[in-house]
Amino acid sequence: MTPDRFEDHAWADVVPDDLIQIYAPYRRETFVGPSPALVMIDLYNLAYRGGPVPPVSLIDRYPSSCGLYAHRAIEPTKRLLAAARGAGIPVIYCTSDNRPMAAPSGGGATRRRKASAGERLPDDFEIWSDFAPQEGDIVIRKQRASIFQGTPLVSHLNLLGVRSLIVCGESTSGCVRSSCVDGYSAGLHVSLVEECSFDRHELVHKMNLFDLHHKYCDVMHVDEVVAHLSGSLVQAAAE
Amino acid sequence: MSERIWDRFLTERDKAVFAAAGFGALAAWGKRPALLIIDVNYAFCDEEPKPILESIKKWRTSCGEDAWDAIPVLQKLIAASRSKGIPVIYTTGTRRADNWDSGSWSWKSSRRGEAPVTEVSNRDGNDIVDEIAPGPQDIVVRKLKPSGFAGTPLQSYLQLLGCDSLIVTGTTTSGCVRATVLDAFSQNFRLTVVEDGCFDRSQASHAINLCDMHAKYANVRPSGEVLDYLEGLDAGMFELPSGQGMTSRIAAE
Repeated sequence: MTPDRFEDHAWADVVPDDLIQIYAPYRRETFVGPSPALVMIDLYNLAYRGGPVPPVSLIDRYPSSCGLYAHRAIEPTKRLLAAARGAGIPVIYCTSDNRPMAAPSGGGATRRRKASAGERLPDDFEIWSDFAPQEGDIVIRKQRASIFQGTPLVSHLNLLGVRSLIVCGESTSGCVRSSCVDGYSAGLHVSLVEECSFDRHELVHKMNLFDLHHKYCDVMHVDEVVAHLSGSLVQAAAE
Repeated sequence: MSERIWDRFLTERDKAVFAAAGFGALAAWGKRPALLIIDVNYAFCDEEPKPILESIKKWRTSCGEDAWDAIPVLQKLIAASRSKGIPVIYTTGTRRADNWDSGSWSWKSSRRGEAPVTEVSNRDGNDIVDEIAPGPQDIVVRKLKPSGFAGTPLQSYLQLLGCDSLIVTGTTTSGCVRATVLDAFSQNFRLTVVEDGCFDRSQASHAINLCDMHAKYANVRPSGEVLDYLEGLDAGMFELPSGQGMTSRIAAE
């Protein structure tokens, strides 16, 4: 990718020219870093509830669902996951640590009103079946937004010799954003896959991609990342 | 290495237990180490080698002459690491002038309330001793607590450098060295502790902490063996800081 294409992303239709000018110093080459792992953020059933419809139509029954945005990301995410498995790189998932008595009340990934017991389903936080974890994958249970916060992730990355992350999942503005920023702060190169990330509203999705891309990570198209994983011989970091 | 520094402190039962439980096996060294030098500053070394009971009158945390026995060892390890482009990372303390951030440090020392030594010395206790002064391409991590990882960017530096292991030296063996080794172990870094490159103000604590670390967390090895290992590594494996603009020692810190 050349810097000319640096702004050729989902935010192009909402970001005004003066903002692009202000952010010119962030323009650079984007890439997938060395020894990567694929990180799948919060791709659990709750995000898909109610089917491929606008999330605004789901706010009464499934307020956590990302509706059509979640479903639209399924096919590209399947491609990304297959490419990662083909390349033999580590695949790391996270989901909510909803075990009873795991956290004090008031703790959580966001300040949203908590679902009542009657609104919860037992498989809310199981990984969506299209991306079901396989033997050898890693599933991190987290209590807060970032996959790094209060989890053993860094020790796992060190054990695997991972030096870069390829991130996808939801929500762009919440857990994806905080995980990307923490990954950057931990000294890792982070690539965020645009078509495989989603939120409950396009404007929020686009502006958070814009922020992350310019400051902290490389937002890349799924075609680029899949081509990288399939074309180049990515050495499995784990021996 | 049949006789170890800790052997004379162990009971016969202790020796039998370690052997029977399988602790103390030699682990793999790692392939991309950084040299870590914990807190070898004036507060722990004094300005010159003095008998420890004399030294601690002025520097209450001093380790006395044992510190100065380790410094030539550190010089060799630093020179070997720099010649191979292995990262050399120092830690030392930092403190507000009013000492508010000493926090838990003030809970266990009856001499904590004394006036700072800076009133009777031109040395800041947190300055790394001149004999092993950081060079322009070295890294200095300032910390408040025993572990080099607690509240510092050390983990992110190691990630950025692509380190898989640490060679740990410095002081005190029982305090900051052990705390840093424990945190590195918990993050799955391979660990070597240089036996004659570490020191403590307590001889018994030094020996027993080396014993504990060798049993469970690290390979505790003499410096000669560590220098041989460094000699066998490829040069130029790391993208070190350029050192540009870091002309003075002050700048390096």
